[in-house]
Amino acid sequence: MLADAAAEELLALMRGVVRRDRTAFAALYDRAAPQLFGIALRILRQREEAEDVLQEVFVAVWDRAASFDPARGSVMTWLVTVLRHRAIDRRRRRAHLEDRLGSEEDLLALTAAATDETDRGAGLAALQKCLGELDERPRQAVLLAYAYGYTHEELAKRLTTPIGTVKSWVRRSLERLKRCLDG
Amino acid sequence: MNYRDPKLRDLLAGEYAMGLLPPRARARFERLMAGDPELQRLVADWQERLAPIDRTAPSVAPPRRVWRAIEQGTLQRSFQPTQGAGWLHSLAFWRGLAAATAAVAAALVIYIALGPGPARTPTVLAVLADNTGTPAFIATRAERAGEIAVDPVRPQDLAAQKSFELWAIAGGLPKPLGLVSATPGQPLLVPASAVGSAGTILAVSLEPEGGSPSGLPTGPVLFQGKLLSN
Repeated sequence: MLADAAAEELLALMRGVVRRDRTAFAALYDRAAPQLFGIALRILRQREEAEDVLQEVFVAVWDRAASFDPARGSVMTWLVTVLRHRAIDRRRRRAHLEDRLGSEEDLLALTAAATDETDRGAGLAALQKCLGELDERPRQAVLLAYAYGYTHEELAKRLTTPIGTVKSWVRRSLERLKRCLDG
Repeated sequence: MNYRDPKLRDLLAGEYAMGLLPPRARARFERLMAGDPELQRLVADWQERLAPIDRTAPSVAPPRRVWRAIEQGTLQRSFQPTQGAGWLHSLAFWRGLAAATAAVAAALVIYIALGPGPARTPTVLAVLADNTGTPAFIATRAERAGEIAVDPVRPQDLAAQKSFELWAIAGGLPKPLGLVSATPGQPLLVPASAVGSAGTILAVSLEPEGGSPSGLPTGPVLFQGKLLSN
């Protein structure tokens, strides 16, 4: 399968990075950076900051390559996790909450995102179906948090709902998503 | 919080994967996770479930300067110890080597001075030693003015389809100087101006045949020494 082959390739490159092979490191960057940069841009909405985060992530990958454990998930998932947490941290440090609030169009585009023919499209379709089963506002909360890095406070402000309610929306949505996806 | 409640554990794993835990709670959760393989699995499951959302972000090619900054940031670390395997196994090796190299260089200079002098006494500019302090290559002033010759002091083991590549390192990115032979007698001649000033580190790395394809060292540094003068 296409996605498996790509994952295997990234794993082989990651093993090279652990051996301090700089050619493998450069190839890993070439393969993964555009997707990671896109994710960082969506969260930060600011090119310079997204560039900084991407740089930090790859320097951290070089330094901590040996701590990557293939038993705990794919290379891409690991990279995305490191990147998202750093991007979200940076977003949180911004002084004004308003600066961080993005527009709604992208979110709507996301729920309606066209799926492609590959395996990744299939995974997205299943998740979209399960997201579709959530009520509208809890679904928005999940997507704003995951795709755009919104905090509970920002979700409360954006969705003009008390923070406690937003927190329980997310929790209940996670439970429902899990049942729907695993069931 | 009771971290043993299975339902709460799964919920926290989900919130962690979402990126919703505030910084301090997240740090606490990560410490917990480090010693708890089951919690790691819960997190991995959540990451797997949510990952399709990542793929809805359009890929954007980052500008080239990002990679250049990464290269610069990581190359400096390449000469320092890293977790697990590194180019050099310890910083102590690196420091010890400088001392060993200086001592070897001094000994060589004395040897050359006392030996049955050849017509032209070569001036030793640097001695490149392995990680035990054994000299492997020497850099001398070449016969032609303005050139430096780098030659092995004895035949060196070199695997098939591999090359030794010489680099000058003076703070920034290593600068490639050319391939050096594994057997004495065919010294690599480089312009002294390309090598840099006293204090520059000369290093020989193991590369694919023909040298590093990227213009930067890709293999381990096997021999190195400091340029004593130029």
